[in-house]
Amino acid sequence: MLRRHTHEAVLALVTLLAILVLSLQSDQFLSVANLLNQGRLMTEVALVALVMTFVIASGGIDLSVGSIMGLSAILLGTFWDGFGLPLPLAMLAVLVVGTVCGLFNGIIIVHFGMPPLIATLGTLALYRGLAEGISQARSVRGWPEWFARLGQGDWLGLPVQVWILLAALALAGAILGFTRWGRTVYAIGASETAARFSGLPVDATKLAIYAVSGFASALAALIFVARVSTTRSDMGTGLELDVITAVVLGGTSIFGGRGTILGTALGLILVQVLENGLSLAGVKGDGTIVLIGVVLIATLLVSTLTERRARA
Amino acid sequence: MDIHIPEEARQQPDAAPPVRLGVRGISKSFGPVQALRQVQLDLRAGSIHALMGENGAGKSTLVKILAGMHAPTAGDLLVNGQARRFASPRDATAAGVAVVHQELLLFGELTVAENIFSGHYPRTRFGTVDWSGMRRRARALLAELDCHDIDVDTKVAALSVALRQRVEIARALNQEARVLILDEPTAALAERDADRLLDVVLQLRDRGVAILYVSHRMNEIFRIADEMTVLRDGQYVGTVEARDTDEARLVSMMVGRSIDQVFPKVEAKIGRPVLEVDHLCAGPLVQGASLTVRAGEIVGLAGLVGSGRTELALTLFGITPARSGRIRIDGAEVRITSPRAARDAGIAYVPEDRGHQGLVKSMNIRENISMAVLDRVSPGGMLRRAEEARIARDGFDRLGVRAAGIEQVTGELSGGNQQKVVIAKWLETKPKLLILDEPTRGIDVGAKSEIHRLMGEMAQQGLAILMISSELPEVLAMSDRVLVVAEGRITAELPRAQATPEAVGHAMTRRSDPGTRTGGSQQTGARA
Repeated sequence: MLRRHTHEAVLALVTLLAILVLSLQSDQFLSVANLLNQGRLMTEVALVALVMTFVIASGGIDLSVGSIMGLSAILLGTFWDGFGLPLPLAMLAVLVVGTVCGLFNGIIIVHFGMPPLIATLGTLALYRGLAEGISQARSVRGWPEWFARLGQGDWLGLPVQVWILLAALALAGAILGFTRWGRTVYAIGASETAARFSGLPVDATKLAIYAVSGFASALAALIFVARVSTTRSDMGTGLELDVITAVVLGGTSIFGGRGTILGTALGLILVQVLENGLSLAGVKGDGTIVLIGVVLIATLLVSTLTERRARA
Repeated sequence: MDIHIPEEARQQPDAAPPVRLGVRGISKSFGPVQALRQVQLDLRAGSIHALMGENGAGKSTLVKILAGMHAPTAGDLLVNGQARRFASPRDATAAGVAVVHQELLLFGELTVAENIFSGHYPRTRFGTVDWSGMRRRARALLAELDCHDIDVDTKVAALSVALRQRVEIARALNQEARVLILDEPTAALAERDADRLLDVVLQLRDRGVAILYVSHRMNEIFRIADEMTVLRDGQYVGTVEARDTDEARLVSMMVGRSIDQVFPKVEAKIGRPVLEVDHLCAGPLVQGASLTVRAGEIVGLAGLVGSGRTELALTLFGITPARSGRIRIDGAEVRITSPRAARDAGIAYVPEDRGHQGLVKSMNIRENISMAVLDRVSPGGMLRRAEEARIARDGFDRLGVRAAGIEQVTGELSGGNQQKVVIAKWLETKPKLLILDEPTRGIDVGAKSEIHRLMGEMAQQGLAILMISSELPEVLAMSDRVLVVAEGRITAELPRAQATPEAVGHAMTRRSDPGTRTGGSQQTGARA
């Protein structure tokens, strides 16, 4: 058990250490209000990262998540404000568009055999370009009260979106860890050929993973718009890097076949703790980025070395 | 078992040829695991020494020590009589020891000439690479290996395995090797390519190179080797001279017990047709194949590489679905568009490339065995671990897999045990037809006969078996009926009684159009 989860153990230790050190630097850091606020801030990245764990564990990558988020944000404004659709319907339409964008990624990758890195690099530009073209640099404001609660309100003592995140976390963890689909994802990531020769539904699974990745990006866009009360075409720029950092820090192998939702959750928490704790301690933004880079490399190094020792 | 180190080599009655490389009491341990214990052997100039043993016997470890990749824990290596230490592969090369590894270590994107000279490109006076000199010398080296058909400017990735091997040997020779080590060079070759390779090895021997030849194939060993050293479980068992020994004795040295029959054939009751294929076409290599396999019958599919044997199997299994033609299982027509559809129709396929197609090597035995029946162990989507473990343990016990348990990662198993896991996986789908593609390639003698025994048992239980193999003796010994494939069609059908090596060999090389055999006879004639 421990041998299989060395990375998660190392990561949990590093996270605890970071929390300990940072709480000594600032009184506000460990306050309930601050922690809840951090939960609110990390939800969008976290939702996308949960699905990205499936994408990367299956041996793929999705660079277009930030662009799908931007396009979804803009379309929400266009559907509601421009076309005059009722807001719930507009939200549903945006989720459908996001899913279709992801499915399109999947089709290019599965049916035309394009490497995921190239395919989603292309759609990263494509979807962002569409977002900019449609928005014409206009932004939509004046969202109704009930919608703003999705990003700013609380329910039973927790920010509303944290409830969504917790539900997604439980669902993703259960699917990857305990179901046939989760096993199929690992098998595809470890050896796509062997998975195919074992009669596993390789193509359908990959299509579904990319489609869900698009859906998660659109959902993150809804929450983001609700939180900041405006739409802009550059929303989600660079999201893919934050997401991939958290997933890889969480121990998912970039070559596929390995990774857990628990690891991704720990990776997300560690990054968020560092960003927030360091800024409260007075470290400047660029210093924080350098430190996150160092922690990413150091953690992966330590866990590789520990694993090697456990094996020998 | 008597240990016997020959004092004089054959052919030279006057003096024993000098020992180029001596291995004296070499031991190697990895942590607590003792991989080699007190191994000794002598490689003499102009002589071929075979190294034999089952998988896990320590052959590869010894090869790696001689190549300078591992340092021995104890013992000496003598180069021309002087003790030497190989701290790196570079030291071994400098001492004149060249190794052709089982997994070829060539750069696919570089040309043949660049690969032969990699690491020591010839220079011009100005210090730049002497490209034309390099090409010229590469051509000369390949010509010495009787290999005029390789263009030295092609990329290695475009060559067949057989030709790549030739390039690797040329590279070894270019380094002025006095000792050449070949680690299972024919494991991935078809019979005819293997023959050509053996000719090259004999030619090198005649030039005075000392050769260590690692192989599982008995007929090869007896054709070329002057003496043999056998290892078992890392222990040195003994060295014998080829003229003083026979196959049965070597096998018993290797497995530590005697095997009466290498190919035990069990009689099974042959029933009604299970698979009926009518004019199947797919891609360029399956061109109207028709065949029938009955319950309890083992049908051998023989043919040269490129004849469409494997492609036919891949079509039946849905990897490359048929363009036209009909497939019937138990009399009912089935459409096979994917491996999943094949499985549901009752067809199982144990693929040729075990490590790549057959297994997910980073997953454990349990996960691999349940992989083809994953939907059955996860009703409603949730995996039932207990059910999965039960299925895995069943298959594990039934096939006699030797491993620490069902949680062991399959990449750590020997070839024979990996193959048993793949077979267990497919038996779990309760197939009607089992297609075995090269079921014993690269597997040691003990595991090989176990797999043959299993095939017999499965046939007795009414399974229809279609076996593809490049090893003619295996095809002849195991099959109730032999089908010969050429140019994507079944060109001959021989019942067991008529399937002699000559008859099958003749059918394999016979072409439908005699016009294609004109010209280019010079090489074939020289070799025949």
